[in-house]
Amino acid sequence: MTYLSRIRINPLRAASRKLLANPRAMHGAVAGGITGTPDSERVLWRLDTDNPHRPHLYILTRSKPDWTHIVEQAGWPGAEGEHAAIRDYTPLLAQIATGREFAFRLTANPVQNTATPDKATPTQAARLEAARLEGRQTRGLRIGHRTANAQLHWLLQRTERWGFTIPPSRVDPPAPGLAPTNETADADPPREVRITARQRHSFAKGGNGRVVLHTATFEGHLRITDPDAFTERLLNGIGPAKSYGCGLLTLAPLTNRST
Amino acid sequence: MTSTPPHPTHTRPAERHDPLPDGADHGGEEAVLLLRLAGPLQSWGDRSVFNRRETRPEPTKSGVLGLLAAAEGRAREDRLDDLTQLRLGIRVDQPGTLLRDYHTVSDYRGRPLLQAGVSAKGRQKPTSPAKNTHITIRYYLQDAVFVAALAGPAPLLRTLDTAVRHPAYPLALGRRSCPPTQPVSLGLRDTSDLRQALEAEPWQAARHVRNEQGRRNSYPTHVDLSATIEDPDGDDVRHDVPQSFHPRSRSYTSRRVRHLWIPTPTGFTTPTNNDQPRQPSAGHDPFALLGW
Repeated sequence: MTYLSRIRINPLRAASRKLLANPRAMHGAVAGGITGTPDSERVLWRLDTDNPHRPHLYILTRSKPDWTHIVEQAGWPGAEGEHAAIRDYTPLLAQIATGREFAFRLTANPVQNTATPDKATPTQAARLEAARLEGRQTRGLRIGHRTANAQLHWLLQRTERWGFTIPPSRVDPPAPGLAPTNETADADPPREVRITARQRHSFAKGGNGRVVLHTATFEGHLRITDPDAFTERLLNGIGPAKSYGCGLLTLAPLTNRST
Repeated sequence: MTSTPPHPTHTRPAERHDPLPDGADHGGEEAVLLLRLAGPLQSWGDRSVFNRRETRPEPTKSGVLGLLAAAEGRAREDRLDDLTQLRLGIRVDQPGTLLRDYHTVSDYRGRPLLQAGVSAKGRQKPTSPAKNTHITIRYYLQDAVFVAALAGPAPLLRTLDTAVRHPAYPLALGRRSCPPTQPVSLGLRDTSDLRQALEAEPWQAARHVRNEQGRRNSYPTHVDLSATIEDPDGDDVRHDVPQSFHPRSRSYTSRRVRHLWIPTPTGFTTPTNNDQPRQPSAGHDPFALLGW
C-alpha cells in the first residue's frame, strides 16, 4: 500500500519556522511519522507554498503514517478541519496507462555529475587530487545546475527515461518579420512545462560542513509513455536530494484549457 | 470639512454657466453617447511640449471633448463647462502600435530659426549661435480602434450626436493630421452607466484582427478588453480635463479614473468548448485524482 498525506503547517509557530527553513529538520519530522526503521522504505515529501501563509506538506509513504507530532508542534491542533489528510494512493496508480495525460508538479534538485569540474572548490580539488595520487577511481562531483535554462534542460533530457513526455506547447505565430530564421530557430520546440520556483538551500549537516541544494519546481503537462517506468519514478522519486524535499512527482487532473 | 481629496469635476462651483436651455436640472434623464475612434493614425498627447510630442495609449478627455467641440463648431474661446461635465469611458478594441515620426523643421529661406526669447520690440530673436534645423519627434498610434462612451444629460448628447454626424469643422483624432474613419458616432444608448453601455457594444476591431484572434482562441463568444472609466473613487488620476481651449489660456485639471476589463461580445457564433468565462487556476491538487 502507498499513502499520500497532506499536512497543514501553521507558519507562525516556532517549530514550523525551523521546519520550513531547514530541509534537514523537515526530513527529521517526516521520518518521525514512519513506524519502521529509517531505511525500511523510501519516503518522499514536498513543501508547497502556493500561499506562503498557508504552506502544505505533501508526503508519500509506503506504510500508513502518523503525523500527530507535526500537527501538535507545527499545525493548528485545536482547529477544525482535517489537520493531516492521509489517502490511499492506489486509485491514482490504477489510472497509470500509456497515453494518459496529467498535470504535474515536481520539486527536484537538478545536478550533473562530473569528475572534471571547470572550477573546483578547494575541498573538491583536494579530493580529486588525492584520488589521482592514489591512482583510484573517484566518484564524480555532483554539481547543481544553477540557471533556469540548465534546470529545464535537465528535466526535458530525462523525461523519456522516466516513462513520460512533455507535449509541445501551443505557441501563437510570431508577428510578421519576427519568425525565427533557420539560424536562430531552436531545434527543440517549447514544451508544456515551466519553472514556478527556484531556491538555494544551505543548511548544516552533522558537525562539519554544509549541504547546499539548488532546487527548481516544475509544473506542466505530461503524457505517459511507459507505465512501468513511470510508476517506478512516481513511487521512488526523481533525481537526488530526495530526503530534502526533492523528487516527489504529484499528478493532478488537467484543467480545461482553450487548446 | 471632510478630508476627501478635492475632485475637480465634482467641486465645480454651483453657479457654473450652462448654455443648455433646459439647464442641468432636467429630471435626471441621462444617456450614453458612443463614439468609434478609429483611423490610420491617432495621437493623444496630454502633457507634451516643445519638440517631443508623445501620445497616450488611449484617447484623452481633452482630445475627445475637442473633437466634439469641433463638430459643434465652437470657437476656441468658447466655454466648455457643459462638455467637461460628461463622464468618459474608453474601451480599447484594438490597441494599435506606436509610430515614431522623425521630423525636421527649418526655414525655407535658409534663415536661422527663432528662439523663445523676445527683443525689446517684442519680436522673437534668432537663435545664436544660428540653429537652422529643429528636430522634432512625434508619436502616433497606428491602426488603433477605441470606443469612447460619454455619459451625461440626454439632450446635450443628442445635440452632440447630430453634430458629430454633421460636423462644422473637420474632425481629428487628437491631431489635425489624423482624420477618423467613418462612422464616428455609434449613437445614443438609454443608460447612464458607462460600463453597461460599453459591455453591450460589439467588438469594433477590424475584421482581420477579429478573425485572427478568433482563430487563435477557438472563436470565443466574448473577449476581455481593457477599459478606463471615469470614477470619483478610481485609483488613478488623469490630468487631461480641459478648462478652456483658449489659445492664450489653455489649462487643464485632473479627474479620477478606474481601469477594468470589459467582457465584450465578439459576434462569433461558432459553438466551442471555450464559452464559459476563464477560471483562475485552482493550483495543483494531487488529491483530486484520489477519489476525493
